[in-house]
Amino acid sequence: MNAPDTATDLSPQALIADIVDDLLAFMAREGASDEAFNPLALRLFSHQFQHNPAFQRFCRQRGKTPRTVKTWRDIPAVPISAFKALTLSCQPPSSTDRVFMTSGTTQGDVKGKHYHPTLAVYDYSMRANFSRRFMQGSDKISMGILFPTEEVMPNSSLAHYLALAVQTFGAAGSRYFLSQQGLDTPQLCAVLAQAEQTGEPYALLGATYSFVHLMDALRQQGRTFVLPPGSKVLDTGGFKGQSREIPVADFYAQLSSMLGIPTSQCINMYGMTELSTQFYDAGNATLPSVKSGPHWIKSRLVNPMTDEEVAHGEHGVLVHCDLANFNSVTSILTEDVGVAVEGGFLLLGRAEGAQAKGCSLAVEEFLRAAKA
Amino acid sequence: MTTLHAVAGYLPGFKAEDLQWQTLRFQGRGATLDVAVPELSPAQWVVLAERVKQGSRAYLKTLTVSQIIAVVDRAVARLLDPKDPYRQEAERLLPLVTGYDAEMVRLGLTAYLKTFRQPQLQRFVSEDFANPKVLDEFQPRPKGGFAKAFGPDLLVHIWAGNVPGLPLWSLISGLLVKSGSVGKLPGAEPLFAGWFARLLVEVDPQLADCLAVGWWKGGDQSREQALFAQADLVLAYGGNASLEPIRRQVPITTRFLAYGHKLSFGMISRAALDSRKAQTTAHQAAYDVMRYDQQGCYSPHVFYVERGGKVSPRDFSQYLAHELVSFEHKFPRRVLPLEEAASVASWHQAQELKLFTLSGAALMGEAGTPWRVAYADGPQPLAPSALNRTIQVIAVDRLDQVIPEIARHRAFLQTVGLAAAPAELFALAEQLGQAGVTRISAVGAMTAPEAGWHHDGRFNLLDLIQMVEIEQSAELAAETFAPYVD
Repeated sequence: MNAPDTATDLSPQALIADIVDDLLAFMAREGASDEAFNPLALRLFSHQFQHNPAFQRFCRQRGKTPRTVKTWRDIPAVPISAFKALTLSCQPPSSTDRVFMTSGTTQGDVKGKHYHPTLAVYDYSMRANFSRRFMQGSDKISMGILFPTEEVMPNSSLAHYLALAVQTFGAAGSRYFLSQQGLDTPQLCAVLAQAEQTGEPYALLGATYSFVHLMDALRQQGRTFVLPPGSKVLDTGGFKGQSREIPVADFYAQLSSMLGIPTSQCINMYGMTELSTQFYDAGNATLPSVKSGPHWIKSRLVNPMTDEEVAHGEHGVLVHCDLANFNSVTSILTEDVGVAVEGGFLLLGRAEGAQAKGCSLAVEEFLRAAKA
Repeated sequence: MTTLHAVAGYLPGFKAEDLQWQTLRFQGRGATLDVAVPELSPAQWVVLAERVKQGSRAYLKTLTVSQIIAVVDRAVARLLDPKDPYRQEAERLLPLVTGYDAEMVRLGLTAYLKTFRQPQLQRFVSEDFANPKVLDEFQPRPKGGFAKAFGPDLLVHIWAGNVPGLPLWSLISGLLVKSGSVGKLPGAEPLFAGWFARLLVEVDPQLADCLAVGWWKGGDQSREQALFAQADLVLAYGGNASLEPIRRQVPITTRFLAYGHKLSFGMISRAALDSRKAQTTAHQAAYDVMRYDQQGCYSPHVFYVERGGKVSPRDFSQYLAHELVSFEHKFPRRVLPLEEAASVASWHQAQELKLFTLSGAALMGEAGTPWRVAYADGPQPLAPSALNRTIQVIAVDRLDQVIPEIARHRAFLQTVGLAAAPAELFALAEQLGQAGVTRISAVGAMTAPEAGWHHDGRFNLLDLIQMVEIEQSAELAAETFAPYVD
């Protein structure tokens, strides 16, 4: 472990390279312990505190400095809304390799921005984790992607994620089925039918709402498939108002019966633009499924009013500390409610939309009216 | 932890075993309360509606307004009596249901119920009817002819919210115009309306079939359609998102009155900001914030404070924070469920981020404190606070400079608590009225509308009735058919 960067004379570029090297080495060490996580988290905190003025002000407001922060749990968690209001980057934004933006469904049209000076860490994180949690030992699988390409959506972290999946793990013939013209159902059906015949496992990956559109299209045509053993599904992101909402249990039951893929092979990925690491479940045969991530991300459940951790087993709002977020902020406060369980956490939904108790106007309703 | 049980609603003509029952669970300070709410089938709602129509025709419509006022007065007197079992039940269970501090509920109930005593009800009626007898019999009109105000046969109420006693407004309005009433209990506070109905029937058993109170899960189209088809008028409270689908179920020939969620605010003139008065004003402002944790439509979200007084707007925000601290000792804020805590937290985070971009901004109250004051040193777009004792203080050079901004949101405006000198009061009232504000009260009185106020600027009773006129021509023509005609 190197000394904290306050004590080095490295140029900014060399400093980043140094941090990235250490980070990649840590990520490569399967099963690294808490003792190894903590110093790296503190080093990143110290780095971000020093090189990210917006974050430093945020920390000072909370009375937190590298002096007072002793463990990764003490690192002040930045609410995801701050990615909209502040520039959370240690590197000048102009010099970053890629900016991922939130889809901007809330707070007017202001989008949250996540700056990546290099995608090396994001890509490593994605590949290592995807390989273990989705590929589960196989090298390649034929993939159909139900999401636009990276060229169409250069600022979408999900588009990049899926592009990486295809590049790294997609067998020959993997392709996209969603374009500006919409879902190419005839081609997709042809490919699925082919997989049925050849017996080659097939994987469908995309946004949750795209699967709803797919199921609607298949139902209309009265088509179902029984895909070969080893076939799987990866959905992510929920419905986001882009399709009708289906209860989760129905979603996976229908998906399973229409594609002939057991619900245990229907995997949900939980990720967000503000993170560089994803969480997965081990299939959705039992609900709600347990989500977990690799050793370089840790989560806590807090009471949002006090920022204190809730007792084990109580509902709280998720805070993630993602070491792969080396340039922005490691610790973010989400708007997702969860509960800790053995081996990970259950995701219980979003904390938004608290129903008005009385007859006083709530923020949500006001925003809806302002947008209309 | 003890579990208490209560039964909600009042459904004449039905036995408990005829009905489906649902349990609504409330977890309060140190106890759990399970409220059994009755759920009728669509067909049962139709039967009930018919019973109430006939019942009110047979009895309620034969009473004079004065007699009805006397009955309501007796029922309200019992609710004001600390020894009455209904009152004791309310004091015991409402804090559990709503989460509000017990003492706040007790004081709030008394202040509220006092506005429904006989003299206040008489005032209530005469606010809308210069001659209240027009509700009892045909009265001569100055233009000639006669007129009488008829209430609906069946008024359906859809109540919402957890401010204790809220259903009383429309229920008593319905009684005063002699309308049969069927109400849907609010899930957030399902007890009060049923208690009041039962109490009325105890006071005057002949009212037994004139009103009913039940429940269904909001958005149940088959029940809503079945019941609304029987109604002459549907009156609904709630957010626009819940009012919209309700309105769609109301037949075009049935009138629909909606009371949506509202946004209220306060204005403090420099005249109220000398060193002596500022303290009192801040105390009153904090009182309005504390009352029912800002859940009322009349509760303030923002205080606009004018510069140029002895006490600066920034200092006023500190006085306000200080007063909120003292109220917290006396009337602690209710414990927030996670979702509400999260929305307060996200409001707090947004205010925190403003500190970086907005010069002169300040935020009072830390993680864990059950109140927050956000100060802005200049005009800001109007936005709701996160309620639950979160309040914005915005400094302005002149109070009237906020008029264009608030006017943009006229559909949501309701009460303004105003601390200003007489000349300012009337000048501002004119501009506020034009912008869409419907009620101006003293700071400290925002949450206690006076008896007979015009809720959201409308007529509580006139909106319910229809006038039936005997035109002069009929009167004259009748003369030609009289047995005594020559």
